[in-house]
This record gives sequence, C-alpha cells and structure tokens, in this order.
Amino acid sequence: MLIDSNAYIGHWPFLRLTHNTPETLLGRMKEFGTDASVISNLNGIFYKNTQHANEELWEAIRSKKIYTDRFIPFAVINPVYGGWRDDLEQCTTRMGMKGVRLYPQYHGYEIATPSCVELVKRCRDKGVPVAFCLRMVDSRTSSWMDLDKEWTLKDIVPIVKAVPDAKYLVVNVANSMALNTEDMDLFRKADLLIDSSGRNITNWVDLFKSFGTGKFCFGTHAPILDYFSGLLRIESLRPTEADEKTKEQLRSGNIKKLLGI
Amino acid sequence: MNRRNFVTRGAAGMAGMLLSSPLTGSAAPPPGEAATRSAPPSFDLMKEVMKYRKIDVHAHIYWTDDSPETQLDYGRRLGIEKQVISRYLDVMPGTPEQFRKFNDLTIKAIKKYPGQLLGGFVLNPVYQKESLEEIKRCTDAGMIGPGELYYQVKINDPKYFPIIEKLIDLKMIIHSHAECQLGVGGYRMKYNGYKQPNTSIPEDFVDIARRYPEGIFQYAHIGMGGDWEYECKLFREYPNIYVDTSGSNNAENMIDFAVEHLGEDRLFFASDNSYYQGVGRVLSANLTDRQKQKIFFDNYNNLLKKGGRGVD
Amino acid sequence: MLIDINAYVGHWPFMQLKYNNCTALVERMNKYGVETSVISNLNGIFYKNTQSANRELYEELKALGTQRKRFIPFAVINPTYAGWQYDLEECVKKFGMKGVRVYPKYHDYEITDPALIELVKRTRDMNLPVAFNYKMVDSRQRSWMDIDYVAYTPKPEWTLKNIFPIIKAVPDAKYMILNVTNSMQLDAADAALFKKARVLMDTSGRTINDLGSLLKTQGTERFAFGTHAPILDYLTGMLRIESLRAEEADARVKELLRSGNATHFLGL
Repeated sequence: MLIDSNAYIGHWPFLRLTHNTPETLLGRMKEFGTDASVISNLNGIFYKNTQHANEELWEAIRSKKIYTDRFIPFAVINPVYGGWRDDLEQCTTRMGMKGVRLYPQYHGYEIATPSCVELVKRCRDKGVPVAFCLRMVDSRTSSWMDLDKEWTLKDIVPIVKAVPDAKYLVVNVANSMALNTEDMDLFRKADLLIDSSGRNITNWVDLFKSFGTGKFCFGTHAPILDYFSGLLRIESLRPTEADEKTKEQLRSGNIKKLLGI
Repeated sequence: MNRRNFVTRGAAGMAGMLLSSPLTGSAAPPPGEAATRSAPPSFDLMKEVMKYRKIDVHAHIYWTDDSPETQLDYGRRLGIEKQVISRYLDVMPGTPEQFRKFNDLTIKAIKKYPGQLLGGFVLNPVYQKESLEEIKRCTDAGMIGPGELYYQVKINDPKYFPIIEKLIDLKMIIHSHAECQLGVGGYRMKYNGYKQPNTSIPEDFVDIARRYPEGIFQYAHIGMGGDWEYECKLFREYPNIYVDTSGSNNAENMIDFAVEHLGEDRLFFASDNSYYQGVGRVLSANLTDRQKQKIFFDNYNNLLKKGGRGVD
Repeated sequence: MLIDINAYVGHWPFMQLKYNNCTALVERMNKYGVETSVISNLNGIFYKNTQSANRELYEELKALGTQRKRFIPFAVINPTYAGWQYDLEECVKKFGMKGVRVYPKYHDYEITDPALIELVKRTRDMNLPVAFNYKMVDSRQRSWMDIDYVAYTPKPEWTLKNIFPIIKAVPDAKYMILNVTNSMQLDAADAALFKKARVLMDTSGRTINDLGSLLKTQGTERFAFGTHAPILDYLTGMLRIESLRAEEADARVKELLRSGNATHFLGL
C-alpha cells in the first residue's frame, strides 16, 4: 500500500501549477499506484482567512465518492487569526479533517508562540497530527514577493519541546537535518514523521541510524515538486539498506500509525 | 513494487504526462466569427437605490462652510433618509473644552436639519465627570447616543466603565472607532508610530462586550480598510457586537461574509461619508430585499426604538 | 448599453474571491445589464511568468463558447521579465488581446524604467491602450505578504503623480488609469500635458466621488464605467454614473460614460 503524506490542491500565486485539482491529483495517484493522499489546500497559505481554503477543500472532496475514499484532508489553521479555535473545531468535526498544517513563516508568528502551543495541544488532545514544512518552494527560484528564508530541522525543535507528546509530521526536508544530542533524543522519542519529498533525504543509512526507520514516510510535495522523486528515494533502497518490511513502513505503515488509520 | 516495476510505471507516467499535456498552439477564435451577443436586460439602478428606506448610522460633519449641506446632498442623491452624524474627536488630548466644542457643531447641525440628521456626541473618558455631564447635556439637546468615540482611550479601558454603564442605562448604542490592519495593534498589527496607541482593536470590543453583555456595541466601519474577515470571525460569538458597514473600501462579498458570520440582524448600513460605496456594497450583496431592508434601516431603528428614539 | 472597462478573473492570493471566472462574471453582467467587460487575469499580477496567466485567460475564453464575445481581454505584461516582447506579440496576434495591463509595483520596477517605456511605445505603435491602476486593494486591509505601499506611511499608496512620468515619457500613447483612489493633483505644467493625453479613467475608484465636477474639469470624454470587480463590489462604479443629476450629465453624457467613451477609446 502506498500513502502520500504530503500533497496539495489549490493555487500557488507565483507559478501556474498543473495537477492541482482533486481530479488531476487522482490521475497522478493512479499513474503511480498511490492508494491515498494526505492533502491540504495551498490557498490556505496565503488567504488571510484560512478557513475559506478549508471549506474549498472540504467541498472539493465531498463532490465525488472516490475523493472521500482516496484523500485524507488536513486543515490549514493560523493560530494568530480571528476565530481559529472555531475553525479548528469545524475542520476536525464537521469536515472530518485528520490533521492540521501550520505555516508559521507565511502566517508570521514564532513556532512556539503561545497560541501555536495552544493549537498543538488541542490537536494532541484530539489525537490529530500537526504538520510543518521546512519550505514550500526553493527560495532561489521563487518570487520577489515570497519568503526569503528557509527553515532547517532545528527550527521545528521549539514546538516539539513545548508539546513533546503531540503528533508531528515534518515535510519537504530540504535543508540541514543536524540536531544536537539533546534535540535528536527529543525527536527520536517524539511521535514524529519526516516525509521523503525533501532533497535532504539522501543518505538513508545515516538517517535510519540517527532517527530510526519508524520516523519516515512517503511524501511527494506534489504538485509543487515532481511526483517521482519522493517515491524514488524509497523504491531505490537496496535490500541491504531496507528490507521489505521497512519499505512497507515507509510506503504506508508509519503514516497509518501516525494517523491512526 | 520492485525497482523494475517502478521504472516501468515511471515510463508509463511520462507517456501519460505527454499525452495529457494541454495542446498548445491552437488557433485563436476566427476573427469576426458570428457569436451570440444578445444584450442583457437593462437594470434600473436608481430605482433599486430608492426602493429601500435608509438610515446612515455613521456619518460625519466638518468645520467647513459647506457642511452639513454637502453630506445632506449626498443623502438626497442616494435616498438616505437620516444620517447619524458626529464630529469625531480627532485631536489630542481631547479635553472637555474640545469635546464640548465638537459637540456644539453637531448640535447646531441637528437643530438646523432635525428631519434629516440624528446627532451623536463624543467625549473622552479620561475626564469622567465632564464626560458624564456631557452625556446629559447632549441628550437634553436631542442627541440619540454616542457618535464615533475615538482613539483617546481604548473601549475596554476601565476608564470607560462608568461611561458605558451610563449609556446602557440610557439604552444607547455604543459606537466606537476601531481598526484592524497592519500598523495597528492586534494580529500582525503593531502600533508602529503611525497610529494612536490607544486605538481600539477587535479584541478590545470582545473584551468589553463580554464585560457588559447587556450593552449594545457598534463596531465602526468594517469597510474602512481593516481586515473585515478577521473582525467578523472574531465577533461571531458575541451577539451584542454589531458592525457598521461604512468606509471607503467597498470590497466585493464583504456584506455577504458579514451576514454569514454575524447574521442579518447585526449589520447596520453606514457610509462614514463614502456614500456611493456605502450604498453600492449593500445593493450588490447576494441578499434578499428583506435582508437589505433590515441592514439599510430596520436593524438600527429597532434598537433605537428600545431607547424610545426610533424613527417612524 | 454598459461596458465595464475594469474587471478581472483569476485568483487573489490573499482572499477567496467570488465571481472570479468568466461564467460567474457573465451572470453578474446579465444581472446588472452590462453587455461587455474588459478583463484580465489577476494571476498575472503574481505569476513571475505572466504569460501563463494570459494563456489561462485565452483558454478560458475559448472554452466559453458564444459568450466569449462579451469580453475584451487584456494581457498582463512584465517588461522586466524575459521574453516579454514575444509574449506581447503572442497576446495580441494569437490570443486577440486588445490592450495591456502593467503592474510596476507588483513587478517591482520604476515607472520610468526603460523597459516599460519600450513596452508603452510598442503598444502605442499597435494602437493599443496600456492600463495602470492606483492600487489593487486597500493597503489598510492588505495581507502582510502583499506589497507594502501603505497609506499614511513614508511609502504611501500611489497617486496620479506616480503614474504621470510614463505619460510624460510617451505622451502619444493611449492610457487607461483605473481604480482612481487617491489624489489626482498634478502641478500646472503636468496637468496641462495630462489633459492633452489620450487617457480614459474608470469610475470604480473612491476618488470619483464627485464625478459631476470632474466632468467639468477633465472633460466628458475621459471617464468610463468600471467596476474593479470582483475585488470591489459590482455596483458602486455604476452608481457614480447613474446617480448623476441632469444638470451634471445629460442623457448624452451618461451614454458616453456608460459605453460611448469606452467604445471610442478601444476602437470597438
């Protein structure tokens, strides 16, 4: 079974995207044998009121039975915007969203700001993961209106420290994964997954040694990144690097466990 | 899937991508091609404008010689029956002498045009005794309640409590300026030197509305350029906060969004002297005639009636 | 007849829009009696490669069937981005676009940038208008990710003075100035030159609140109905015309404002 833990629909302001609708994404999934995809709406990164993006996603998924079967929706919540608590409640109950994506850099707050900590605790209590992204696009190629700073894995540490018993998903790990001993220990103990879409997911031997095989999962970051690379990183693992059981964990086992499905 | 299968699947994917690419390079529609171009039925906008009774609940007069006649002329042009005017206290520190002078201007105007103008007074709670006296003076002069209270003191400052309690006793609508934008306190908004530090923000309204659930609060100008989505979302759970729709920014869908979040009873039509935008944004909203009539007139008038100040 | 000279389709990154595709816009036009709209694609303001947005608009219109004749498409061109000359040619000759919209603030170049001057000269030579606007949204409600020309700060929103230098540089081109929301003041010499220029301004902006007086000072040929929809509401721009009193604008002048000036200016 193959589950993509990091896909999107919606609009990217600075570039025309293709495969950014449920139908075209489903087409990609069929092409590559992906059984289900965790998706959120890119519009939520830029809309001041992210709830409109969540409603758009909800309506899109409800429009066809196959979408409800194949997509696992995540909400985009901005914990420093008016009404976010109500938004979170609506998303996780009425709309049936299974996780929350947060964008501290785009939404302009510190990762361990009190309202973000409150949000993560609420998610923890609901048993839903929160997802952070080290970058949405390569800052070298992006627009003059986009962010000019990318994150490393270290930037995620403060929130994991603040709420160590929450569930975390860290996607598009495109920059340094270096952590000091204390932080590495924190990450190893945390219920935390890293997807395979980022360019720093290269040396699996070292990654497994540092984080453990239970800390990774398949992710495409599609349609911003190509649909192949995240999968290629897993499928090209040699038997000496990962046995079939480990590969299945990467393909779907680890993310199923995190999502409780 | 083994590596070989993966490569095979990948190759199919590439082929699929090529096949599914949109065909580019196709010709433009032939010039002059006959196409249906039936003119839409004409829309009588001014008939629509005049269909609704209107109270503009947030307007201002000025110190200039042409005021309030210019404002009244806009009102006649757009079928606005009454305007609630005030001379907002845009001076610091806003002494009793200053606010009395500002209110005198309003009193003069409402005496001159009693059929078209309703008066709102201003005050400064830093001067509690004088403010309470001013409420009495202005009420006796026929004013209906506070006009747009300004940035001298935040609306939830304890200095306001005795004032608000008095206004509640008098069953008056408590109308205050507020902002919600970059550059002002609140979300991503800092008091950065271009704004007075005591300007109220939506959170201040929530705070005071919770303290006084019996109070009726009018949040000024969601069309002033602030973040109306933020404002409406924040106020959803506070039924005693009403919003006036005034301001120069006539964003499409603002009224629809406000109705969706606050309900059709919690909006008051207003211009803040942007008369075209004030009327245009309500008329273009996707609402029923009855909903528009409530916003243009009934919602506010019903609250005025509670204090015995209704318009017939 | 009504012609809206300032409407859009497409996406505004910072806010969900309603009525932002051709089909929805046609419904809006039908409801309020508007026969034709000049449109461009909002996506072109943000895409680095604006031609993707122009192609999207072309494809959307092509798919619209007979109703496509209700629209007059304008291209969005960034004259500091690679290949713009080819884009302009393709937009005009292949996509059938009838004018150009430029966004110096969003595309980050000066109003007198030589590349812009070259673009304006090319559009002049093609007898096509080039359209500027004061602003897309009110800076007070902008997103923190939007451009930072903010009212009442040292980097304020634009006024006519900010647009005028290009008119001075290429005085014989055709200009549209849209969403006029701040001052129209120019010094005496510039005002005289501005008055001679071929300029059409729309009625969507808040500065057009005393259209009756503007018709007297600027002339009756320089204004036309525009909505700035779907960013601004659909009716305010129309209200500024329809509520003119007979002594401010007679039936003939009102018709000029509704469609006559646009028809003449755009060569329809």
